[in-house]
Amino acid sequence: MRILASFKITPDYEALRPADWTADAADGPETRYVRRILNCFDESALELALRLTEALDGHAVAAELGALSIGGPEADGHLKTLQALGYRRTTRVDAGAALDFAPGVSAALIAAFVRRVDRSDLLLLGSRSGPGDSGIVPFLVAERLGWPCLPQVTDVEALPNGRVRATSAADDGLVRATLRLPCVLAVGNAAVSHLRVPTLTQRLACRDRPLDVVGAAALEVDVAAGLLREAGPASLEVIDRSRPGVVVGGATPREKAQALYEEHLKPLLEML
Amino acid sequence: MPLSREAIVEGLQSIVGPDAVVTDERILIESSVDNFRKLQNIFDVHTMPVPAAIVLPKDTQQVAEILRFADKNLVNVIPRTGATATEGGLESAVADSVIIDGSAMNKVVSIDAYNMQATAQCGVPLQVLEDLAREQGLTTGHSPQSKPVAHMGGLVATRSIGQFSTLYGGIEDMVVGLEAVFPGGQVTRIKNVPRRAAGPDIRHVVIGNEGALCFITEVTVKLFPYFPENNAFLGWTLKDMKTGFEVLRDVMVNGYKPSVARVYDPGDAGLHFSHFTAEDDCVLLFMAEGTAGIAKATVEGIAEIVAQHPECTPVDSAYIETWFNDLCWDASKITAEDERIRQTRNVNRTTEISADWSSINDIYQTAKARILAEIPDITMMGGHSSHSYINGTNMYFNYFFNVVGVGPEEETDKYYLPIIGIICEETLKRGGSIVHHHGIGKARAPWIKDEYGSSYYVLETLKKAFDPNGVMNVGTIFPK
Repeated sequence: MRILASFKITPDYEALRPADWTADAADGPETRYVRRILNCFDESALELALRLTEALDGHAVAAELGALSIGGPEADGHLKTLQALGYRRTTRVDAGAALDFAPGVSAALIAAFVRRVDRSDLLLLGSRSGPGDSGIVPFLVAERLGWPCLPQVTDVEALPNGRVRATSAADDGLVRATLRLPCVLAVGNAAVSHLRVPTLTQRLACRDRPLDVVGAAALEVDVAAGLLREAGPASLEVIDRSRPGVVVGGATPREKAQALYEEHLKPLLEML
Repeated sequence: MPLSREAIVEGLQSIVGPDAVVTDERILIESSVDNFRKLQNIFDVHTMPVPAAIVLPKDTQQVAEILRFADKNLVNVIPRTGATATEGGLESAVADSVIIDGSAMNKVVSIDAYNMQATAQCGVPLQVLEDLAREQGLTTGHSPQSKPVAHMGGLVATRSIGQFSTLYGGIEDMVVGLEAVFPGGQVTRIKNVPRRAAGPDIRHVVIGNEGALCFITEVTVKLFPYFPENNAFLGWTLKDMKTGFEVLRDVMVNGYKPSVARVYDPGDAGLHFSHFTAEDDCVLLFMAEGTAGIAKATVEGIAEIVAQHPECTPVDSAYIETWFNDLCWDASKITAEDERIRQTRNVNRTTEISADWSSINDIYQTAKARILAEIPDITMMGGHSSHSYINGTNMYFNYFFNVVGVGPEEETDKYYLPIIGIICEETLKRGGSIVHHHGIGKARAPWIKDEYGSSYYVLETLKKAFDPNGVMNVGTIFPK
């Protein structure tokens, strides 16, 4: 089984100042000066893929794990980390252009890589890559490949018979589906949200292993033409989510609880 | 005969009332450790004796009565306020300890903008005091990463230092007076004066005592004018720490006072600055503040000094400013880090030391090499210098490791303490200090006699004199 996890390196939006969100709306927020991180959904997908590969190995099912990222060299450090963790194939697709707010082009590149180069059976992606992201890349990839797509995946497990079962969040609960491959898994709010960390010894062991870098042209994807069809942000503004607060007075927890009840809860209860 | 837990609780309740004595078992278990054994709370596997109670006095008089009760009945007490300690100072080393939590004593007594000093009770969060000072165009000048969660009493008790120390100094340079209660209930107030030559400076009996000598109830600290509009940031990349230390030395020796002066090694720089550095880059950075003239002169002077080291390559100052604005730890970041550890069993620890300019690079290089050679499962080994002086600087070792093959409660024995041991040994060999600003706690108490040498006599005599019954935070500073 060939498993591929695709991820995107994003700016650490938590580190942006409010002013950065409106600095240049035409190109999105000003993110040049903050560090790049793995977004949380992709991080879940990468760790789930590792755990699935290990579990399949436990059931004597040969599984080979690969990682893909689209973008510039800022992804290389993360790809080297994945090598150290046991990812056998590590590829960066150099699109030659920034692909923020470009789900169509991103999906075309991922699908072309899967079809032309990687020939994987199971593709895991994060549901979205960050604030303002469309969340439709997994579905567009599945559509281009003609594969089914399971959304909001929260867990993946290997069954004793070597098949793969995924758990996904639905409106009224959880759905467990035994997968018929190939398929795309869009990883959502998984309980597993952190990627394990390789030791320096593990890093040293793959220090000289090269990363594969593939150009968009080799995948026969016209990035420039695709970008013309994408819709970017027209404006950005910070949404003020702050709410007024009241500090409840009192010398002891009992007095504070009494004040909370008398001054704030009781009037609400009387309105019922 | 020692008092039973029930008798201890009854005794405390008679002093402060039942509402101010916490006996909830879950809270007591979680309070048996601090960040030194934080994995015990993260994984809910506890090995330390459970305290008998947490008591929250509301004033100095109640603190005095509690200490009188403890001294008379030989009950070990653990003073705390914000509970952000990292070195085991808040661990309950013996059974049926009582935690005296000063967080309910949280009044800002005064902000005296004319005499440039502010007085706060021990439980005032530094962030609260700083925000009030800022409303008047002033600052405490104190900004440890724990600013949003640490309280004034604990900051003084642990001899804290902040990110702007090169300009404003450590907490010991800021405290002008204080009030503390000693074992047996003796209340002591050291008055607020600019300076005095009336014998030894007894503030230093209290500052940094880590709850092993007394309980700090109130502190008065200096205030400074605040000119954020003049803040300026500078940054360079370079290829080795030795050059970084040399630049820091040149800046200090030439008399410049940047508020921030730091050099990061490649490992630590990779955590913070990977968006503008290469894998083997160190990062040198400064922040200048003050009046427009002072900030400008500081920037120009530092730039001139760094220019004499052509191996330093300047970076856009916006990188440094943006990074610095996101540096403090608040409660949400601490919670997120705990969850990361829970899932990955990858732990981040730090150990800080200081030494003179001749020794600091040797200590850094040797300790780092030994840790990499002797300790398994390391995932990152690095550090930075962040507090410099005319005669030397600190080294803040920052390291990560995976906890493999042992339970989370054994993390300190398998990894953390052996690493601390290496750092302490290499520092002591070269005449440095094993603790720059986190305090000794219980973690580094085994090395305290080597740290002090013949001057341990003075330290030990303080303990014998002020705490003859040994009820103040057993095991902290002084090994059990």
